[in-house]
Amino acid sequence: MSQVNRIEQGLVDTNRELKFTFNDKLYIAHPGDTLASALLANGQRLVGRSFKYHRPRGIFSCGSEEPNALVELRRGAYLEPNTRATVTELFDGLQARSQNHRGPLGFDLMGINDLLSPFLSAGFYYKTFMWPKAFWEKLYEPVIRASAGLGSLSGLPDPDSYDKGFLHADILIIGAGSAGLSAALLAGESGARVILADEDFKLGGRLHAETLQVDGKSGSQWATSTVKTLSKMDNVRLMSRTTVYGAFDHGIYGALERKTDHLASAHGMPRQVLWRIYAKRSIVCTGATERSIAFGNNDRPGVMLAGAVRAYANRWGVTPGKRVAVFTNNDDGWRTATDLVNKGVEVSAVIDSRSIEAPASVAGASIIMGTNVIDTMGRAGIHTIALSNKQTIKCDCLAVSGGWNPNVHLTCHQRGRPSWNEKQACFLPDGVLPPGMHVAGAANGALSLSSAINSGFLVATDVLQSLNLNAAKMPSVNADDESTNIEPFWHSKQSTKRCWIDLQNDVTTKDIVVSHQDGFRAVEHLKRYTTLGMATDQGKTSNVLGLAIMAEHSGKSIQETGTTIFRPPYSPVPIGALAGRSRGKEFKPTRKTPSHDWAEARGAVFVETGNWLRAQWFPIEGETHWRESVDREVLQTRNSVGICDVSTLGKIDVQGKDAGEFLDRVYANTFSTLAVGKVRYGIMLREDGILMDDGTTARMGEHHYVMTTTTANAVSVFRHLEFCRQCLWPGLDVQLISATEQWAQYAVAGPNARKLLQKVVDPDFPIDNENFPFMACSDITVCGGIGARLFRISFSGELAYEIAVPTRYGNSIMETLLQAGEEFDAVPYGTEALGVMRVEKGHAAGNELNGQTTAANIGLGRMVSKKKDSIGNTLSEREGMNRENGLVLVGFKPVNSASTLSAGAHFVTRGNAATTENDEGWMTSVAYSPTLECSIGLGFIQRGQARMGEIVEAADPLRGKSTSVEIVSPHFIDPDGERLRG
Amino acid sequence: MAELTLKAQTPLRGYSNRFGDTRLSELSDTAIYSIGLALETAPALKAIKNSLGTDWPEPGKSASSTDGVYRLLGLQADQVFVLFSAATASDGQSQQLPNLGQNTYTTDQSDSWAGLYIEGLSAVAALERICPIDLHSSVFEIGRVTRTSMEHLAVIILHEAENRYLLLSPTSSAQSFLHALETSLQNVIPIPIDN
Repeated sequence: MSQVNRIEQGLVDTNRELKFTFNDKLYIAHPGDTLASALLANGQRLVGRSFKYHRPRGIFSCGSEEPNALVELRRGAYLEPNTRATVTELFDGLQARSQNHRGPLGFDLMGINDLLSPFLSAGFYYKTFMWPKAFWEKLYEPVIRASAGLGSLSGLPDPDSYDKGFLHADILIIGAGSAGLSAALLAGESGARVILADEDFKLGGRLHAETLQVDGKSGSQWATSTVKTLSKMDNVRLMSRTTVYGAFDHGIYGALERKTDHLASAHGMPRQVLWRIYAKRSIVCTGATERSIAFGNNDRPGVMLAGAVRAYANRWGVTPGKRVAVFTNNDDGWRTATDLVNKGVEVSAVIDSRSIEAPASVAGASIIMGTNVIDTMGRAGIHTIALSNKQTIKCDCLAVSGGWNPNVHLTCHQRGRPSWNEKQACFLPDGVLPPGMHVAGAANGALSLSSAINSGFLVATDVLQSLNLNAAKMPSVNADDESTNIEPFWHSKQSTKRCWIDLQNDVTTKDIVVSHQDGFRAVEHLKRYTTLGMATDQGKTSNVLGLAIMAEHSGKSIQETGTTIFRPPYSPVPIGALAGRSRGKEFKPTRKTPSHDWAEARGAVFVETGNWLRAQWFPIEGETHWRESVDREVLQTRNSVGICDVSTLGKIDVQGKDAGEFLDRVYANTFSTLAVGKVRYGIMLREDGILMDDGTTARMGEHHYVMTTTTANAVSVFRHLEFCRQCLWPGLDVQLISATEQWAQYAVAGPNARKLLQKVVDPDFPIDNENFPFMACSDITVCGGIGARLFRISFSGELAYEIAVPTRYGNSIMETLLQAGEEFDAVPYGTEALGVMRVEKGHAAGNELNGQTTAANIGLGRMVSKKKDSIGNTLSEREGMNRENGLVLVGFKPVNSASTLSAGAHFVTRGNAATTENDEGWMTSVAYSPTLECSIGLGFIQRGQARMGEIVEAADPLRGKSTSVEIVSPHFIDPDGERLRG
Repeated sequence: MAELTLKAQTPLRGYSNRFGDTRLSELSDTAIYSIGLALETAPALKAIKNSLGTDWPEPGKSASSTDGVYRLLGLQADQVFVLFSAATASDGQSQQLPNLGQNTYTTDQSDSWAGLYIEGLSAVAALERICPIDLHSSVFEIGRVTRTSMEHLAVIILHEAENRYLLLSPTSSAQSFLHALETSLQNVIPIPIDN
């Protein structure tokens, strides 16, 4: 298809051709085109269907405000719906499809909705789907869901990659139009670190869309040369294709940079980058967006914003029609007529709603003042317009200008409210702006070119001064100062047809009236009731028009009516960009234990615990079920020796002359009296007396302790300790540092543990029971002089040690320990066997320290020393936490040993119903004990210690079962601790 | 039975790779110790000056001994990290941290941190993708150091020389950290594009 509407004199490179398809039809375009300009050049007026009524729609604007021309781009997994053709940079091979229609674009079956429009006005859903109630889920919702939404998704994972980043600047200038460029020029020349961001791929804003002059050359040329100057400044970062979409707290701005959207392939590079920009100051130079006027059938293809029509002609060398009419209420609209005529395009008429002297002469055009358009004709594209003076005019494009709305959105992102300016008939930023934000150019009401450039210079000067930077001399620029006079005209009252306000959501003037009649008069209510200003364009061309009409009906001023709150994002941000790299395995970091590689090679099955990957069990040949592996690991450990990587436990080096005193205050029990070379189990309480964490702490020297924490609380305990050290007791001589990553630590447990370790620990360090009894610790050397630490502690209940070596040896020592243990048939065991053995031994763990339980609950109430004060000590004495019928940790065995217990079951006295009132406690941990050959559990039950031998029901209604269990000691094996002291 | 031995390995197994104009390589043979000050700081600071040949750096700054053996990273008011070579010399000996007396508290951190150098013209561009701090040379000058986070990982970053940064991140997540940096470099190194 030839480019029937291409006229010369644009800024596109007509020497090169690009091929693209729209609805599978091949078209030609040029570098510099957008999809919209290319479609217009090729005479494609109908580009989509409206959301609700499926009305034929054409291109309406030339920027991110576009409500109509939403298309699906690319194919397969790369398909992206709701892409605005007006900001889609054309590339060779681009594939686009129209959306939101059933059947061909020209004959949308869903167009029947348009015939039903009398029934589908504002509030339709709320009024219609109330009755009958039963219809909602089975009929209404499915039908609404099937009809809702714009475009379609591929349903496939997004194959593109995305990235994020952080940028910093003295001044972030948002928008590279006349004000933004002038502000950047001055700030850059003054030495400030500047980021100049603009959503367009060509910096310059409307300078490229107009024929206005700057310093005797075209605005576009001035923009190009200014950008060139800026690009040579090291202190200025130019970011085209970058939308600053949000202004957040503390001078932080969100920006989306489209890196490869303009290319046929991303070549493996991130498609988009979501930037977090930290700026000391920002200058919002976002320009203004033109608004329409509501009149009958003003949504037909061919009805466009006047500034857009002008832009297509001036920048892209495209006329949207062969015969154009202009309808305006302001002087700016006239420039569309004069620019088109100067390019040889026929302008059939200029209709101005104002009863004034015509501001310009337009060759060949009828000039009709004090009149308005009331209707348009042409189903898939206008061919005639009807005026309020009964006249009809032939045209295939109607350029409408209802005035310009400064883009104040970013100024409102922290709940700022713009103020209505009667003279300029627009909202302007009010005094309350986000800290550090300034506004220049059209966004601040400087609507003429000259005033916008001057505004950029002036605001930049103020900003530089506020940063204590010497502003360079303000350049002298002589620019056109075009007239922007306006007399508001919102809608044609003479029109009897539907007058559209929000083209994307099919909201008409009638809907505003209905909303008013139904009592939804506040703008926020108006928005929800009518959907005015919703969806991808967020009402950029419709909001002011809608609320002006609401103001008219409610008898209030526009200022009193106000706007809805503008929130980020300014324009749509793909979910993929928000996710960035954080997809799949990269969603969070992975922490690996020092022996991870060894365990992986051994075929370990891993489990995620927080960010850690820990070996859960080590299956061997012939084992088909995890229980086989775990049972074997438990039995082999209890019968001989097993080795487990426990490096994930938190380790905190506590040093200082007051280290003991410090530990006395953070632990409920006493540590200052602990002998050097000894380890003690400790419990830590929260301020409210609830258990916070537990673990062992070893005294390695007079002023040196090594505390261990649970894996889960390693960070929170360290943070807590630092808070105590720095804020509560800065007078204590104590230093803390995490040593979790420094040491690879392994439990060596079982009756042959000592024999195994004696082969590894250097002979200078005897570890027999006499020299190294239960709860001893020492710095040692292993394997011929490698520094290590040894702790005689036991989580399994067996004779056990924990040996720590520098992490660099962590992968190697597993092999070495197993080599040393070969004669004992030593076995590596994972977290599952670890858990089984601790349940068999009756040790509390995370399930028992769940943030609800006390030291008394787990049977360690006496550890809360009353000889000293400690965090949580006082509040642990509260009556409610020390009731006689309080919960106590005990063991449970099924009466029928073949039964399986389940954690989470609640205990009720036999014969009682399983109700909340009869609840006496709950099962916290369960395991199959290969030692006892039955399922066992730990749990809290009221007066547990006094009920040994009693049978209760473990009710588990969630899983539909109830098991009779006997209350027993939590220490299922070796209750007297003979093994671990052996 | 064979003699029982232990074999050391670094967190990133000696990683080194070039991405266009920028190299990413693992820090090797470097000892890292934390030094905490006792409440009585004067004797501690004197001991450090005498033993390490440098003054105590303020938080955010680093300091090196005049002979270049020790580099101190000021991480907080009362704690620094000291880095020095742990390579074994020809005489079989390696540098040890001198005894700093009773008013300092030292902890070996050498195995706690995976170290990576990123050096080259694209270093800053790559770091911009994951590093929230302002790396501009006028702000984060050569010699500056700070704690920060990258991709949810704790990181200590030192601006060691022009376009050269030392990054320390916990050993256990070293692979994730390396992957984050590799991805950043791959995402910023320009590749020829013909469309």
